[in-house]
Amino acid sequence: MGSRLIDLGLQPGIPPESWNTTHPEEIKKIHLEYYNAGSDIVLTNTFGGSRLKLEAHGHGDRVREYNTRAVEIAKNVCPPNAYIAGDIGPSGKFLPPVGSITEQELIENFTEQATILAEANVDLFFIETMVDLKEAEIAVNAAKKAVDIPVFASMTYKKTKRGFFTIMGNSIEQCSEVLEKAGTDAIGANCTISSEEMIDLIPLIANSTDLPIIAKPNAGQPQLVEGKTIYLSKPAEFTQDIQQMIKNGATIVGGCCGSNPKFISEISKKIKREKQ
Amino acid sequence: MIIEKEYKEAILNGNISLAESLAKKAIDDNLEINLVIDQFSEAIREAGDLFEEGEFFLPELMRSAEAMKAAMAILEPKIMESKEDRFLGKIVIGTIEGDIHDIGKTLVAAIMSAEGFEVFDLGADVPVDKFIDKAEEVGAQLICISALLTTTMVGQKRLIDNLKKRNIRDKYKILIGGAPVSRKWVEEIGADGSAENAVSAVKLARKLLEV
Repeated sequence: MGSRLIDLGLQPGIPPESWNTTHPEEIKKIHLEYYNAGSDIVLTNTFGGSRLKLEAHGHGDRVREYNTRAVEIAKNVCPPNAYIAGDIGPSGKFLPPVGSITEQELIENFTEQATILAEANVDLFFIETMVDLKEAEIAVNAAKKAVDIPVFASMTYKKTKRGFFTIMGNSIEQCSEVLEKAGTDAIGANCTISSEEMIDLIPLIANSTDLPIIAKPNAGQPQLVEGKTIYLSKPAEFTQDIQQMIKNGATIVGGCCGSNPKFISEISKKIKREKQ
Repeated sequence: MIIEKEYKEAILNGNISLAESLAKKAIDDNLEINLVIDQFSEAIREAGDLFEEGEFFLPELMRSAEAMKAAMAILEPKIMESKEDRFLGKIVIGTIEGDIHDIGKTLVAAIMSAEGFEVFDLGADVPVDKFIDKAEEVGAQLICISALLTTTMVGQKRLIDNLKKRNIRDKYKILIGGAPVSRKWVEEIGADGSAENAVSAVKLARKLLEV
């Protein structure tokens, strides 16, 4: 979603969620592109829609409006048999010692957003790009409490010499254990790492949990070429990597930064053909 | 030396009270303050290296930086008294307009300040002219601009262009940072450099300012 919004002219400094009210047609168009490409689930344009994140842009008073509108727009184009996931991203704030936010503030932050998304009738929650397991756990609890629908949670890992960890030092095993205990219905990884790197990550997640596994890698690493952001991955090779991840145990797959409907279309064609 | 080991332990364990008591003890024992600071600095550099190697994560690194800051807060007045020139320079740092990623920038700021620079951290989503106005106001020597998004990197260029417009480009050294920043980008926009990580950023800052 974010990469597509930038393609369509979203300017730096503007929260993407504000487009739910200023550019609803564009958001609708993006959702439709993804459904047409074969997506079974699309994520609402609410990744940065929590109060703490919107406050950082000076839009703290628009939480309800942006989140409600986001779901309405997706509902407009969601085909039967497809789903709308209420997207919840990180608050952008950190617990001590890195930052100074309190757990209580995070609870309030995610409870508010999850409740609004639930009232707008999303089919499931997609909590993603989390780098702090504690924050992810708080978000999952908030979502679980808001309404009884599936909650997916996806962490962002970094490859170090000692293996995959979040930047806060949470291991795959810790993440699986805590998120499972919190009642998460599917767990996995998204963002930062490319599809090639994520291939190695999936079996490790599979070893740590029996829950369905989410794999949503970036389309390569961003490069700035002549003032424009370019991701070097091509849909065909990205899809090959995704197919490998499916063999390794992933059941919910997609693309994060740098991907676009072409990637999803390619994946959809390949894996749906395999199923037949 | 046992004491050297203690300095390292205090910083690497992020033990603020140990770092403080070691700093106080150094003053009471009339130790050479510059040498003491060197010991602490070496430890914080090691913390930075451990972070790069994946042995340390953000919480450990931030705790180390906090312990270092606590020790420096005690040692700094002593340096002022003795009029020894330990002051390395003033730095204005921030994440560019439109970008609210501030982990990398905060790390660089913490390690720069631990090293002995006076750091003015403007936070994230900072308008281009605010960097310049602050640098002018405090008489900084170095401006560090972080951009984590390829879409906001252009702000780094705009900052340098604005300095040129105001005819003050040569007053400052400019370091740029952020995952998408490449050697080529540094050259293209005419910055003075960029570093792989917070520790090399400090080394580069010292080299550029010749301190």
